[in-house]
Formats: sequence, C-alpha cells, structure tokens
Amino acid sequence: MTNFFDKLFGSARGSKDEAKARLKVLLVHDQVDLTPSQMDAMRAEILEVIARYAEVDREKVDIRLERAHDQVRLTSSVPVRRVTSRTGAVPA
Amino acid sequence: MSECIVITSGTGGVGKTTTTANLGVALARLGKKVVVVDADIGLRNLDVILGLENRIVYDLVHVIEGECRLRQALIRDKRTENLYLLPAAQTRDKNAVGPEQMKKLVADLKAEFDFVLIDCPAGIEQGFKNSIAGADRAIVVVTPEVSSVRDADRIIGLVEAAELPEPQLVINRFRAKMVKAGEMMNKDDVLEILAIPLVGMVPDSEDVIVSANRGSPAAFDDKSIVGEAYRRIARRVTGEENIPFVATEEPENWWGVMKRWIGLGEGKEVAG
Repeated sequence: MTNFFDKLFGSARGSKDEAKARLKVLLVHDQVDLTPSQMDAMRAEILEVIARYAEVDREKVDIRLERAHDQVRLTSSVPVRRVTSRTGAVPA
Repeated sequence: MSECIVITSGTGGVGKTTTTANLGVALARLGKKVVVVDADIGLRNLDVILGLENRIVYDLVHVIEGECRLRQALIRDKRTENLYLLPAAQTRDKNAVGPEQMKKLVADLKAEFDFVLIDCPAGIEQGFKNSIAGADRAIVVVTPEVSSVRDADRIIGLVEAAELPEPQLVINRFRAKMVKAGEMMNKDDVLEILAIPLVGMVPDSEDVIVSANRGSPAAFDDKSIVGEAYRRIARRVTGEENIPFVATEEPENWWGVMKRWIGLGEGKEVAG
C-alpha cells in the first residue's frame, strides 16, 4: 500500500503498472512460446548483425515482441551513433 | 430466438458459478425463460449458490445416459418465474460426458428456453471442451489480477479457435478504492490487454459471500450493488445498449478528497 508520505512526495507508483507491464510480456511469450533466454539470444544476434554495419548505442537498444491485434510483432529501436560501412560489405 | 452462452474463465475461483447464477436470476427477472446448466461434473456447485441443493433427484449425466427424461432433471427455482437448474452429477467424473452429447443436450434445451447458460469448469481440458461444444457464444470472467488475466487470454484464444464469435468480458471483484490508489488494474488496463468487448463490471463485495451463505444470489436483492451489476449485465446480454458501466459517484467535498488522499477514504463502490 502506498502511504501518506509516498503520496506527498510523489514517489509512489501504483503496483498496477507493474502488473500491466508483466502481463504484456507474459502474454507475448505465452503466444509465441519463446523463452526469455531465447529472446535474449535473438536480441544479441540481431545486434551483432547490425554492429557489422553501424556503431550502436547498446545502452539504449530496445528490441522486443509486442502484441498488436492478432499479431505478435518484433519491434526494435536501435540508436545508431555512426555508420561504419557504407558499402554494406561485411568487414573482414 | 434462443441462445446458449457458456460462462468460462480458465482460472478457478474468479466467480464463474456466481456469475452464472446471478445472470440466470437477472435474465429470468427480465421475463426470459432461462436454464442454468452446471457442467462441472464431479464438483457441482451451482445448486448450492442457487440454494437448490436439497431438491436434486436427477442430474445431467442421468439425462445423457437416458436414465430420466430431461424435464425430470430440471429443477424450477420457485423465487422467480422461468428459472430452472440442470445440476451436474456429483459422483461421476468429467469423462462421463462428451462434446457430442452436450451438443444434443443443448439443442434440446434451446427448444424449451430463451437462454441456456452453461457454468464451465475451471481448466482447459475435457470439461471446457464439453461446455463450449453446444455454445453459441462465451462470456469470460476475469478478476483484475495478473494470473487471472493471463488465463483469460488463453481461454479467449481457445474460444476463438473453436470458431465461436468473439467472447465478451466480465471484470469481477473490482475494487474502486484500490483502482483509485493505482494498486489495481482498471477497466481500461484490462481491456487494453484482452481486447474483447466488456459486458459488465462487478464490484468486490461482502454481498457475494452473504448471498452464497444463504443460497440466494445477489441479483434477487434490489438493494445490492452486486445485484445491480448483474442486472445490468443481463440487460446487455439481451441486447440493450448504452447502459453505463459505472454508477455516478457521490460528489466529493474537500474533506472527502483529503480523506482519500491520506488513505482514509472509503472509496465508494460502483456497479457496472
């Protein structure tokens, strides 16, 4: 329960946001049957491929599965610092 | 035109049986001819919630196995016109019945009644398959909790896989005070996740326990806020539109605001 002081100083964030966030992740994984560790592995591999072409701000990378209507969608937000290869060729 | 509606949820203990009983009572009070069917073979409960447990002679399995006629097994609720119960067998297991037999039973009941409501057992196995076999549509009951919403999502998928139309949602055990404090998912949070139409919101209330103790569903009680929530659901089920989900709350004065702010306020319960 949030108490008076939490409310007074605005430090409380209701647990319902946590419930909602957990559910969103949970339902996607229930649907596609991909474990969180498989998801981590996929994320790492995707980043590895991108890193061949561009320098990525790894701290701010956001790659996740999302549900939109009846579809599960892989969305990614990958901030690029600079492109390292303009030719698209795989660096040796 | 008669209709068979299955009341389901996935998780046990979220209020399927209470919802079935109350919706049955509320529909009957609207003048519809209703039969509530307990499909939880081996764990019957709908009879107790309705207070009809002492009048059972025959049950659903007797009917299916041809040991009695359908009419002999139907128990009439004397408190209202047009409400009947078809009880589950208590001493058999859930494999005593199959989907084809349920389809036939539902077809026979639909010939006699406006609404056939099926109280589905918890889980996604045989009992669930039997319950949805003859249904025209489904109502999914959920409480605003992570585990319940997760299982509801699974059930919605299974209902759609069975080629039933998009189910409707009842949000049960809603606590206005916790929602206000941000400690419980609100209506919009649950709907955003489950993405099916809402047919009702039922506040968490002691009325439910009292009425279960007495075997008299809250929908009989005109003063009960839970009863009012179920009566509104019944009206929506019959196709009435634009019934508000949330009753207007008392206008708040500055003291009420202060009390709520410091966590003393009794969040006024609201019915939907």
